[in-house]
Amino acid sequence: MIKKLTFIVTALAVVFITGCGSNSNNSTDGGDNKTKHKIAYVTNGIDPFWDLCAAGVRQAESELGGVECEIHFPTKGLADQKSIMESLMAKGIAGIAVSPVDADGQTKFLNEIASQTKLITHDADAPKSDRLVYIGTDNYKAGRALGQLVKGAIPDGGEVAIFVGRLEQLNARQRRQGVIDELLDRPSQTLGQIKFDEVAKVFKGEKYTIVDTRTDNFVMDAAKSNAEDAITKYENLACMVGLFAYNPPRCLQAIKEAGKLGKIKVCGFDEDDGLLQAIKDGHAYGTISQQPWNYGYQSVKVLKSILDGDNSLIPPNKFIDLGYKSVTAKNIDSFWSEKKKMAALGAKKD
Amino acid sequence: MSEAPPLLKALAIGKQFPGVRALHDVNLTLFQGEVLSLVGENGAGKSTMMKILAGIHLPDEGAIELDGDFVEISNVREAQKYGIALIHQELNLSDNLDIAANIFLGNEPHKSGIIDRNRIHKESAQFLKRVGLEFSTDTLVADLTIGHQQLVEISKALSVDARIIIMDEPTSSLSQKESEKLFEVIQDLKSQGISIIYISHRLGEVINLSDRVVVLRDGENAGELVGDEITHDAMVKLMVGRDLSQFYNRKVTKLGEEILEVKGLRTPPYPNNEISFSVRSGEILGIAGLVGAGRTELLQTIFGVTPAVGGMMKLKGKKLMPKNSLDAIDSGVVLAPEDRKRHGLVLEMNVRENTSLARLRRDQKVGMIDFKIEAELADKTIKDLKIKTPHSDQIVQYLSGGNQQKVVLGKWLSMSPSLLLLDEPTRGIDIGSKQEIYKLMEDLAASGVAVIFVSSEMEEVLGMADRVLVMHEGSITGELSREKLNEEAIMQLATGNKAAA
Amino acid sequence: MNKNTIGILSLFILIFGFTWYSNENFVNGYNMTNLVKWSSLYAIMGIGVAFVIITGGIDLSIGSVIGLVASILALAIKYEWNPTLTVVLLLGLSIVIGLMHGLLITKVKLQPFVVTLCGLLFYRGISRWLTDNQTMQYPDTEGLDSFFSGKVSLADSSFALASPFFFLVLIAIMAAFFLNRTIWGRYLLALGNNEDGARYSGIQTDRLKITAYVICSFLAGVSGLLFAYELDSVQPAQTGEFYELYAIAAAVLGGCSLRGGQGAIFGVIIAAAVIRLLRNSINLVGISTHLEFSIIGLVILGGVTADELIKRIVAKRRSSKN
Repeated sequence: MIKKLTFIVTALAVVFITGCGSNSNNSTDGGDNKTKHKIAYVTNGIDPFWDLCAAGVRQAESELGGVECEIHFPTKGLADQKSIMESLMAKGIAGIAVSPVDADGQTKFLNEIASQTKLITHDADAPKSDRLVYIGTDNYKAGRALGQLVKGAIPDGGEVAIFVGRLEQLNARQRRQGVIDELLDRPSQTLGQIKFDEVAKVFKGEKYTIVDTRTDNFVMDAAKSNAEDAITKYENLACMVGLFAYNPPRCLQAIKEAGKLGKIKVCGFDEDDGLLQAIKDGHAYGTISQQPWNYGYQSVKVLKSILDGDNSLIPPNKFIDLGYKSVTAKNIDSFWSEKKKMAALGAKKD
Repeated sequence: MSEAPPLLKALAIGKQFPGVRALHDVNLTLFQGEVLSLVGENGAGKSTMMKILAGIHLPDEGAIELDGDFVEISNVREAQKYGIALIHQELNLSDNLDIAANIFLGNEPHKSGIIDRNRIHKESAQFLKRVGLEFSTDTLVADLTIGHQQLVEISKALSVDARIIIMDEPTSSLSQKESEKLFEVIQDLKSQGISIIYISHRLGEVINLSDRVVVLRDGENAGELVGDEITHDAMVKLMVGRDLSQFYNRKVTKLGEEILEVKGLRTPPYPNNEISFSVRSGEILGIAGLVGAGRTELLQTIFGVTPAVGGMMKLKGKKLMPKNSLDAIDSGVVLAPEDRKRHGLVLEMNVRENTSLARLRRDQKVGMIDFKIEAELADKTIKDLKIKTPHSDQIVQYLSGGNQQKVVLGKWLSMSPSLLLLDEPTRGIDIGSKQEIYKLMEDLAASGVAVIFVSSEMEEVLGMADRVLVMHEGSITGELSREKLNEEAIMQLATGNKAAA
Repeated sequence: MNKNTIGILSLFILIFGFTWYSNENFVNGYNMTNLVKWSSLYAIMGIGVAFVIITGGIDLSIGSVIGLVASILALAIKYEWNPTLTVVLLLGLSIVIGLMHGLLITKVKLQPFVVTLCGLLFYRGISRWLTDNQTMQYPDTEGLDSFFSGKVSLADSSFALASPFFFLVLIAIMAAFFLNRTIWGRYLLALGNNEDGARYSGIQTDRLKITAYVICSFLAGVSGLLFAYELDSVQPAQTGEFYELYAIAAAVLGGCSLRGGQGAIFGVIIAAAVIRLLRNSINLVGISTHLEFSIIGLVILGGVTADELIKRIVAKRRSSKN
């Protein structure tokens, strides 16, 4: 099963201005909570993924009490996210959990926010900024877990092709490396120090060969035709791995149309309903879910405790790893019903 | 005079454009301090010749000698360097800049990129003085009349030390007074030792100004006149290649019923001026006037492309108020527009498609083109109008101006119109086609069509019209019957002088 | 067949041969089935935008119209509307969209670029708003499913013709007929070459332009339905994104001048096939997908440049003949 990994997030020139925010601002907020903490959850855009996260926020808000949450979906990228955060500051928000659109470019701005309110990051980190903590998933570990699923799907080995939207994104590269390392039985690498393999290369291990990685730039028909072309090119393809939510359903379609359902296995990432149905039907082997609602739930929980004056939830390396969940035919029903519940909750707009 | 060495000599110049031989073996000599006029009909090659001297076109053949040395003028900058400046018919000034900025445009004296404003204003003032323009150098060009703008253009030429100033139809949009002012300036420049090449259709001006006249016809030298030889008749004879009396032989036909009646018509550019006239079956009505007098706009309003603002028109007694050209065409009114390439033809389509463009609607079979009828129509038109084209699939772009105009006319004749409007029907057309078009106008009139034509060519107006309306600034300033037609009377009316009529 | 079409056809054959040479699986039935299917989908969009380009205009909203149609279709299935009625309504909606574009361009005299750019943003936003930006699936609605994304196998081969191909054949025949045989097609070409000239010949240019935008949006709507059933899911924020650029590329590569007045339906179809073939080839030859855009861009640029040079040579020859 999952090898025990140690992870140490290296502090990449992190400068923490310790205390200064957390000590002085507490006077009015803590104690009896007639007044609720006003906090904000800011995403990096619009996506069904974020709706599931929002569901977690709402759940935490009602379960934990004492906080009032605003959720913002910036529609137009960096500039939009910035202006939303500026207006939140103007309103005097007590805490913000943000998924920065451009972590490095926004450092100065994030520090400005962090100096006036409690700032944490979720989903994507800004390690060079003064954020108090980062809540996310170790995508390399999740990738290795996906590799485990592939091993489960084709225990006798074979050819594997990987499909992904863009490899420019760090999480995509980490997932892909995790899958490759796991299938080639390489030793674990440490997040932050991962050596990434080049894209146009065939990786041949003892049992498993990773024949190709194709990107589609989020264009749906490209995602599908990439899968079709792989079926054409690799006659002995045994398993297709989709790293972004929409990839596995496109792979499944191509396999279905080629008449190879069941012959070519599919393992995926995230929790697209199409994929979940296929897992249930036995056409796909499994998926790795980050349980997005945990992002929202934990963000609220951590912010609330910080605002209540309790910093004990912040680990020394400032990274809270929410982990992932491997979903296969065994636990598909319980997982899916949880997702449905969360999706319904998240779809309710403010 | 011919003792002194010539300033400029153009030797055996030839120039070819796609489908047109613009110039062939043209020679021209210019001496210092003289006014040389270049005359010829439209399409005779005057403009091309000037553009070659000014570095806009390169000649395909021949050579240019300046001060006895061969030179190659490959662009406008080089022409300027040699002291040659061309003043275009359409002025090239920037309205939004002041006089000084325009004079020095592209030649600004500067210190490390910063324009030396003092200097350009000081020097501009001197140039304005030389052309007798009494305006402050910081006046916006947009605030000047066309005549004054022209003087600014001349100042601009002086600012680059031009020794040869070429003027292309400089008086075409000037009032009588402005023209006279220009003539004074030209005399002044001449006395300063500057040579002028003067291009004009107005033979009267040419006679008064010129030391020498070079006549071009069909892109070749047709003759040269010096001093006393320069007379109206001599020039016209050289221009058309034969006596006028042979060229135009309009036989007055019997007029029939009234075709078009215009009452108090007001056109969009001149909404306050009312126009009234009528034209009868078999009549050829000429409309004369200066550029910008509102002649083209009048035709466009009758044809419906710029609907009337007020007034009323009747065609054969029936109300005609076209909102677009389709309305007019359906009532039997057609227009061969002034700008043939922009409005008359679809240049990239072939002869057949252009000929049938208007007729297509009538010959359609539930929306489908009847290709057989279309081909027959094209062949018939080519034959009837003697269009010189290898076949009906030839793209009209590659036809000569005369043949293009015949395609336009062919398109309209297929619609059997009762009123034919022609705007500058022979502009840019060779002599042969010109005569054919005149013949066509006469034949159409004889068959009962009413023809209205606008022309800036005095010879054409005098030769073809049964009756002439003269327009000035959007109004009709006078009407001249055939017996009273003469150049002076038309010019007087065209420049707004009603008393003369 | 005009010279331009021969050029693009040779390009197609060249790339086809090269890919076949590099990977023999290229010509297997499954791959050919896919190639024909995708080419047909792109060609339908390309034909639509070709009409607009012939008038000298442009339509940047195609991708968003596709997204909107696909999104509403998903909603309709979710709320169990009558599927056939929904399809008719959606096609009607695309016609209305084209009509709006045409009216704004001809009557209000806005620039086509601006109008359709705003359309691009507007329809995309509406799709996201209507669906709460949820990715939606199309559960099997048997009848329409096989109508829009069914396949007809040929003999016992593994080659099959997909629905989009039959749609394309029908649309292409109608489009070519309209353009080459009807007076309106002739008017459209005339107006594209010289709008003033057409107007002075009694052609009602505004109506024709509106018609061109209606055709374009209508075919975008048809593509939307086909894409929806082909992909079996719609992502409101992404489905159809950038498709207008592929469509425009196909139209231009296929011989429509952006200056207007030229267009050959067959050329557009082959050009759409070239674009899809390039994608297929890149995957099968094993070139990095990161280079995909660059390769497509270069080929289009090369094709258009060659076309322009050929035109110039032809023009020169013609003029020297006279």
